[in-house]
Amino acid sequence: MRPADLWRHSSFRLALGVTLFILVTLMFASGVGYGLMQSQLAARQDARLTEIFTAIEQTGLEADEADMIEALTARIMASPDRSTAYLLQDQTGRVLAGNIAEVVLPAGLSTVPAARLGVPTDYPYRMFAGSAGPYTLTVGLTNADLVDLEEIVLGAFGWASLFAFLVTIASSVALAVRVQKRLTDSEAAVFRLAQGDLTARLPISTRGDDLDRISQAINASLARLAALVEAMRQVSTDIAHDLRTPLYRLRIHIEEAARKAASGSDVGDDLAAAIAQSEAIDQTFAALLRIAQIEAGARREKFAPVDLTALLANVVDIYSDVADDAGQTLRCFSAAPAWVMGDRELLTQLFANLIENAIRHCPATTAITCTVRGLGACVTALVSDDGPGIPAADHDKVLRRLHRLEKSRTSEGSGLGLALVKAVADLHSATLTLKDAQPGLCVEVAFAQVSATS
Amino acid sequence: MRILLIEDDPSAADYVARGLSENGHVCDVLADGTDGLFHATRESYDVLVVDRMIPGLDGLSLVRALRAAGRKTPVLFLTALGGIDDRVEGLEAGADDYLTKPFAFAELLARVNALARRPPVQQVKTTLRVADLELDLMARQARRAGQPIDLLPKEFTLLEVLMRNEGRVVTRTMLLERVWDFHFDPKTSVVETHISRLRAKIDRPFDLALLHTVKNAGYSIHAPR
Repeated sequence: MRPADLWRHSSFRLALGVTLFILVTLMFASGVGYGLMQSQLAARQDARLTEIFTAIEQTGLEADEADMIEALTARIMASPDRSTAYLLQDQTGRVLAGNIAEVVLPAGLSTVPAARLGVPTDYPYRMFAGSAGPYTLTVGLTNADLVDLEEIVLGAFGWASLFAFLVTIASSVALAVRVQKRLTDSEAAVFRLAQGDLTARLPISTRGDDLDRISQAINASLARLAALVEAMRQVSTDIAHDLRTPLYRLRIHIEEAARKAASGSDVGDDLAAAIAQSEAIDQTFAALLRIAQIEAGARREKFAPVDLTALLANVVDIYSDVADDAGQTLRCFSAAPAWVMGDRELLTQLFANLIENAIRHCPATTAITCTVRGLGACVTALVSDDGPGIPAADHDKVLRRLHRLEKSRTSEGSGLGLALVKAVADLHSATLTLKDAQPGLCVEVAFAQVSATS
Repeated sequence: MRILLIEDDPSAADYVARGLSENGHVCDVLADGTDGLFHATRESYDVLVVDRMIPGLDGLSLVRALRAAGRKTPVLFLTALGGIDDRVEGLEAGADDYLTKPFAFAELLARVNALARRPPVQQVKTTLRVADLELDLMARQARRAGQPIDLLPKEFTLLEVLMRNEGRVVTRTMLLERVWDFHFDPKTSVVETHISRLRAKIDRPFDLALLHTVKNAGYSIHAPR
C-alpha cells in the first residue's frame, strides 16, 4: 500500500482519529496534573519561607542586635551556595548582615530575579520581606528546585506524549494496513465476481473474527450460486445436444413425407411418426420446465401433512396392473401411517417415476417392492427391484438431467425421470440415495417425520 | 355450437378455427384481449377458448373481468405455461379447463365438447346408464344385462368418469387428472392398462362393445351406433 493511499482508507482514518483523541485527552490530563503539582509545590515553598522568616523574627524579638547578627551569620554560613538568601537591615536601612545585594522589596511575598539580588544564577528567588522588631528582614529561597522539577515533569509529559503518539500511530498504520489488506483482497475478489469469475472467493484469516464470519457466509452463498450457474450451464448444453437427435429424426420423417408426396405416395405413416417425434420433444421440454419450477421452490408454501404410506399404496395400486402386464410383480409392504410435510401431487409423481423406472428398465419376472418405514424422526420410503440394477459408479450420474445409461439414446425416455425425482426430494429436504439391492436397484427417499394430524 | 377463440398467433388461430369449423362449430376469432372481453360480454357464445398471453388484456384478467360481469360462459385456457401453479392460477381466475400448448387438436375438440355440454347445474343422478350397462353410484355396484360386475375402486371411478361423459371423447390427460389425480404424463401405459382391465370386465363377456378407443384422442363410452 502506498502512503498516499493510506489516507483514503477508512480503517487508517479511524485509527488516526482515535490516536488524536487519545493525545488530546493525555495532554489535558497532564496539564491538569502539572498545574496541581506546581501550585502544591509553590505553596509548600511559601510555607517554608514564612517559617524561616518567623524563626528569625522570633530571635530578633528576644535577643539584642549582636545576637541577631550572629544568628543570621550562622544561617548564611549554612547556605554557602546562597540557595537561601538573607538580608537584615536596621531602621536607617543600613545592612547589618546578609548574603545578597541591598534591595528594597514590598512587604510580603514576591518573586525576584537573581540579578537584582546580585546572585549569579538564572533561577529567580521567592522572597519574603517584613519587619522583625526594630529591623527590616528579607529572606528568600531559590526557585531552582521548583523550576528544575517543572522542566523534568514537562519533559516527561512531552516524551510520554511523543511515545504514545508514535506507538498509536504505528499500531494504527499496522492495523489499517492489515484490515486494508483484507478489504483490498475482498475488493479484488468482488471485482473478479463482477467480471463473471464465480470461482473467486473472499479471503478468510485464521482468526475467526466478525469479518471472517461474514466472508464465510458470503463464500457459502457464492459456492451455492456457482453450483446453480454451473448446473444451469450444464443443462443448457445438455438440452442443446439432446434435442438435436429428436429434431434430426423429426426432419427425417418430414423429408421422407415430402419425398413420398412428390411421387404421389401415401405420407400418413411418416406424418404420424413426425407427430410422435414432436410430442416426444414437447414432453422433454415439459419435464425440464417442471423440474425448473419444482427447483424454484414456490410450491413449498403449499406443503401440508401427507401420509406417505397411503400415498405410496395408492401409486402401487395404480401401477400393479401395469407391472402385471409386463410380467413383473409390484407389491407394497407398509402398514402404519407415516406423516411427512409435502406436496401430494409431486410426491405422487416422485413414486410414480420410481416405479415406472423399475417397470421400464427391468425384465419380466422382476419383483418390485415398495416399503415405508418410520424410524424415529425419519420416514424412509424404499422402491427396490431385483432387476439388473445400476453400477455403483453411475449412481450419481443418473440423477443428472438428460443422463441416460445407454449412450446410443435409442431407448425411450427423456433421461429426466430421476432428475425430477431428485428435484422433488430436494424440495422436500429429503435425501435421495441409490443403493445396490444385490441384485437390483434400491432407491431410498428419507423424509423428516411430522406428528400425525387428522 | 358458437365458439369465440381469442388467440393472437395467426397460424395457431387459423388452425384451431378451421378444425372447429370442420367439426360443425361456428368459430369467431379475435386477436386482442380487450376486443375479446367486449365481444364475450355482448354476445352469446357456448364456449370461449382463450390464450393466456394475448395483447390488450391478458387471458387471466379477461376471465376475471368476465366472471365479475356475471357471465358464466365456459372458458378453456390455452397456454404455453404448463406448470401446475399456472394451471391452478388459471382455474382460480374462473377458467373451466386448461390445455397446454402444444396440444393435439383432438384433445382441444374433446375438451370444448365436454365444456359445452356440461350441465349448468350438476344433476343428482344416482344411477348412470349406457345401453344395458348400469352404474349404481350409491351402492357402488356395476351391472350389465342384469349381471353384477365386480370392479376395483379405481375401475369404478374410471367407468364413472366415462359414463358421465357418455357419447363424448374423454382424453387420456382428462382421465389421468380425474381418475388418478396424476398431473403429469406417465411414461408407462397406465391408462391403457386400466382401460384394458375395465374392458375385460364390462365388454368382453358380452356381445356388444360399449367402450371405444378414439384414435389419437382418447376413449368414449356409448351404445353401438
